[in-house]
Amino acid sequence: MADIGRISLLLALFAAVYSAAGFFIGAKRGHPGLVRSARNGVLAVCGLATIATASLVYAIVTHDFQLEYVASYTSRDLSLVYLLSTLWAGNAGSLLFWAWLLSIFSAVMVFQRRDTGRELVPYAGSVTMITAAFFFILLLFVASPFQRLSFVPPDGRGLNPLLENPGMFFHPPFLLAGYVGFTIPFGFAVAAMITRRLGDDWIIAVRRWALMAWLLLGIGNLFGAWWAYVELGWGGYWAWDPVENASLMPWLVITAFLHSIMMQRRRGMLKIWNMVLIILAFSLSILGTFLTRSGVIASVHTFAETPLLGTLFLVFIGISLLGSLGLLFYRSDNLKSDAEMESVVSRESTFLLNNLLLVGAAFAVLLGTFFPIISEAVRGVKVSVGPPFFNQVNAPIFLAIILLAGICTLIGWRKASVRNLWHNFFWPLVTVLAIEVFLFIIGIRQWYALIAFAICAFVLATIIYEWFRGTRARHQMKGDNYFRAFWGLIGSNRPRYGGYIVHLAVILMAAGVIGSSLYDASVEATLQPGESVRLQRYILTYDNIDQYETESKQVVSTSLSVYNSGHLLGQLTPEKYFHHNYDQAVSEVAIRSTLLEDLYVILVGWEDTGATSFKVIINPLVSWIWLGGIVFVLGGLLAFWPERRRPASPNDESGRST
Amino acid sequence: MLKKKKFIIGGVVLALAVAYLGYTGLSNAATYYYEVGELLAKGSAAYGENVKINGQVVTGSLQREEAGRLLAFTMVDTSGNVSLPVVFRGVAPDTFKEGALLVAEGQLLTDGIFQANTLLPKCPSKYEPES
Repeated sequence: MADIGRISLLLALFAAVYSAAGFFIGAKRGHPGLVRSARNGVLAVCGLATIATASLVYAIVTHDFQLEYVASYTSRDLSLVYLLSTLWAGNAGSLLFWAWLLSIFSAVMVFQRRDTGRELVPYAGSVTMITAAFFFILLLFVASPFQRLSFVPPDGRGLNPLLENPGMFFHPPFLLAGYVGFTIPFGFAVAAMITRRLGDDWIIAVRRWALMAWLLLGIGNLFGAWWAYVELGWGGYWAWDPVENASLMPWLVITAFLHSIMMQRRRGMLKIWNMVLIILAFSLSILGTFLTRSGVIASVHTFAETPLLGTLFLVFIGISLLGSLGLLFYRSDNLKSDAEMESVVSRESTFLLNNLLLVGAAFAVLLGTFFPIISEAVRGVKVSVGPPFFNQVNAPIFLAIILLAGICTLIGWRKASVRNLWHNFFWPLVTVLAIEVFLFIIGIRQWYALIAFAICAFVLATIIYEWFRGTRARHQMKGDNYFRAFWGLIGSNRPRYGGYIVHLAVILMAAGVIGSSLYDASVEATLQPGESVRLQRYILTYDNIDQYETESKQVVSTSLSVYNSGHLLGQLTPEKYFHHNYDQAVSEVAIRSTLLEDLYVILVGWEDTGATSFKVIINPLVSWIWLGGIVFVLGGLLAFWPERRRPASPNDESGRST
Repeated sequence: MLKKKKFIIGGVVLALAVAYLGYTGLSNAATYYYEVGELLAKGSAAYGENVKINGQVVTGSLQREEAGRLLAFTMVDTSGNVSLPVVFRGVAPDTFKEGALLVAEGQLLTDGIFQANTLLPKCPSKYEPES
């Protein structure tokens, strides 16, 4: 099977190079036959990459330990689902997964039915095929998943038990799919510059691709956050780890893009800026892969250091970044803005500000992540910055971005009058005041928390107010009942209302982050059975410790009774696993989750005397983050959902997103 | 033209604000990053300064006291020549174990012991076998 895989990769490389050249030459010289042939080439690449992936999966499932990859990550005792997940557990496998996804996305892109932007497809196809060819070269010559060992080991090394978590099925593939997805908008951006079709065509063609990649990356990060939260030692739901940062940066940049394309479509502004954002997002997504593979920056995600792979990625980023920026420079004359800003107080300027802040935040994250390298190059000493830097810099920026989401909702396009503003802001501000008084009464006194919650409350109020006004207008105009009117309102402009729902999700998540980072509490205690520890209004009584063997591991299990002001709430059982064939202890934390707060208990250690130590943490509002995640997906899907097809007319408002 | 000026002024103010945030963040949160040997070479100049050190946990040196709440171990320089006793109070991540490559953040105390506040094990064997 390994030979089939290797041969498929080699053929896929040829097919990708052929397609890339065929698209470019065919489109440039006007040979539709060549372009069609290149299109079929993409299909061939897709098929061959699928065969290569399938043959690796087959080798994994049938325990073909002669393959180095299979021997390194799997073992006979691994269950089928985790066997499948080892496809992306290692360096070579995840690169193959990447190339496979890219070939699928490319095939969908070139065969997709579209009303506009058809002329861009060949060039975009050329770009994605060049990218695919780069990955096939890596897979063939640098990090081959089909590398054979000179002997056949009886069993593999097995998967690190820390990775045996449902997060393993979702976090890596979603994240990778998000990264891969940025290639398509990048392809269209380059195509638009080559063909000088720099109007709305490429923006329309990439909006849903960018949205999809953004959604997948967001979901991947949320799964990662959840996984890191339930798994001890990965620093909680977000630790500003370099690799986390690497996925946050393109996400922030594409968030900016999803807003700024509305400026281009409505007002013909920010054309160069939009190009730059797409180029940045693509480069940052490759940079993220580079960071994980090269080992230049210490991270919990680091794969083995393969300097050659790192260098090749760096060269690839360099070429694509310089090439596309150079092209942008030559086309800058064609990218003049159609309109000027009319007023400082307008929706345009809130969009502009939001874009600057999002990119500013991405830049701050970039600076912090690469600071050790920068300082070593400039001053010869390695200086690293930790979470305090990222929190201190980004918290105010993110709060400002959230605040803008509220202000933007209330301000009209072009120019807003003061009278209008007062009218629009009145009810939301009243709501904020009411919520602030409530928070003050229940004991929230930190000024930072009060400001942050006020901003969240304000945005929440503006969205609900906006929906209420829209629903009422529909109710009055069409005579629908309120429920139908609301439903019709949402359906009338799905990108817009999907966007509002995503804003709601961001508020939920922000509230979760604010609550859990400003109001967490913890205590460590060493207890004998029967003894208790108190944290705020919880009392935890240590009942017993138990050890037992399973087929693959030894389990140390402890049990605690949890009381809240005298009432027994239930048992919590933090555990530790010791796997027989893998030198890695795994702490299973016990979490009691409510809407208000999580009680999080870690089993730290024990002695023969019976003394057992625990760490008990209260994390307020963490479940709001996961709740926000669900809302985020719903809003994103709503915005992504295809509009009904209809002939495009220049005055068609509903196809536009506001 | 007046409007354009307003936007430029706004942009500059914004850029300055972000730069200020970044600058204060850096000056508050920047930590020197040394190899174990580099820290020891600084001698008494290193006492009390918050730093990150990179090295490896010596196999056989790890002692867990107070039912696992206090860890004492020896870190050795990546060159393998110089070593440093380290204590850590708290909950170590699961990936922390003997033989692991480790970045520890904390201070060198005057008695020559490094008191770590956070342990960041980096484990190349985690996702990829050591070659």
